[in-house]
Amino acid sequence: MEEAMRLASGFAVWMIALMVLGVVIFQAVKFILLARDAGRDIGMAKHEINSAIKTGAITAIGPTVAIVIVALSLIPFLGEPLTLMRIGIIGSAPIESVGASLGANAYGTELGSTGFNTQAFTAVVWTLCLGGAGWLLFVALATKSMSKLEKKVINKSDKNKKIMMVVATAAMVAAFGNLASAEMVKGMEYIAAVLVASASMFIFTSLADKLQKNWIREWSLGLSILVSLVVGYFII
Amino acid sequence: MALKEEQAGTAVSSAGSSGMEQFHAKAHYWGRLTVWAALILTVSLPVVLSFFLGHHPGWNVILSAFLAYAGIVAVVWVLEPMMYYTILGVSGTYIGFLTGNVGNMCLPAAASAQNAVGAEPGTKKGEITATLAIGAASLVNKVFLIPMILVGALLISRIPDHIQQVFPFILPAIFGGVLAQFAIKKPIYGVIGLAVGFVINLTPLVVYMKMLLCIIITIGICLLLERKNVTKTAQ
Repeated sequence: MEEAMRLASGFAVWMIALMVLGVVIFQAVKFILLARDAGRDIGMAKHEINSAIKTGAITAIGPTVAIVIVALSLIPFLGEPLTLMRIGIIGSAPIESVGASLGANAYGTELGSTGFNTQAFTAVVWTLCLGGAGWLLFVALATKSMSKLEKKVINKSDKNKKIMMVVATAAMVAAFGNLASAEMVKGMEYIAAVLVASASMFIFTSLADKLQKNWIREWSLGLSILVSLVVGYFII
Repeated sequence: MALKEEQAGTAVSSAGSSGMEQFHAKAHYWGRLTVWAALILTVSLPVVLSFFLGHHPGWNVILSAFLAYAGIVAVVWVLEPMMYYTILGVSGTYIGFLTGNVGNMCLPAAASAQNAVGAEPGTKKGEITATLAIGAASLVNKVFLIPMILVGALLISRIPDHIQQVFPFILPAIFGGVLAQFAIKKPIYGVIGLAVGFVINLTPLVVYMKMLLCIIITIGICLLLERKNVTKTAQ
């Protein structure tokens, strides 16, 4: 176990984890620059572009805290760099923990047990990295085809364009309807958290409209999460 | 940077659609390049551990673990990018699936930014706004993640238990807040999304099937609804 954890936070794993993070950071910067130029081309105002970037950055704070908390529960078993690499790209903690236990089980041991040696750790790394590669492979190979198909549909007629807008909005609403309900079926406190955040969002949005202050809109999700947590604190 | 500025300046005169074409071409190029780079790097880690540092657990172990894991996630590899594509668009798909946390971070960031800017999903402006927001979210996430993971364990142990009790409510709060953003603009959509989601979550289906079904059913109902509205206004 100790030997495995020494390997897990050793030089090799750190190096590769940091390089992967470097790629992710480079990509984010590159795409922001590309989108900024394209935004100007389609006639977006400078303040709109800045507002989009700012809102994205603010909105990421809440989820990042949630991600870190889950990530911390994986560190004792996987070490810092591998956790960073798996949570920092593609992964979501619940899926990664399933993959990690499967890897350890295949070697005939369990995560965190005394029999968890360097080879068991390597088995876990193989499982997680090959497992995560599936998404990347599909995205690298299929995104271009998906966009070709989309363009074909949209270019056919104006009616199709409108239908695509309805589909995009409905898909987004469905995704959040599903994610929110999955939390709500966990219990009354979770229902309260969803409802309080929704109500706060209503209030912040109407405030933003009334006062004509766009910064309220940019902070609305972050503030709603905070209000919901404060109320949650007093409920339990 | 200065060069970029000039290029953008000359491009403004060209029509918006050619700007989008160019954007998509560049997004495909840089998106594929970065995703392939990340793919090769991730797979190189177990190779290094196995064959350069000598901790190889044997192919049998690797294969049986991988097959068991693939049995759970292989469907999701294909389904997730496809069902999120309509929301994320070309560039959003490349960033979203490399940075991860699509549902809990990228989508909320995109939705909030579209709300702040007043851009509709599924339009050019909507796609550019989503890309800017997801890119910024990815950056903030990575910049915070590294120090927080390094000092996090220490920090978390110092936070009193009674405050730690609210941590599980961060996710439901995010989802509730974003859902409300849509409900404000299109109340019926919000009600449909939540109702469909709730019914589906009371069934014992696997997680990715729930998401897929929920998206298909909600899109179906919304399309029917829009068609009804169109015929109504036409009469």
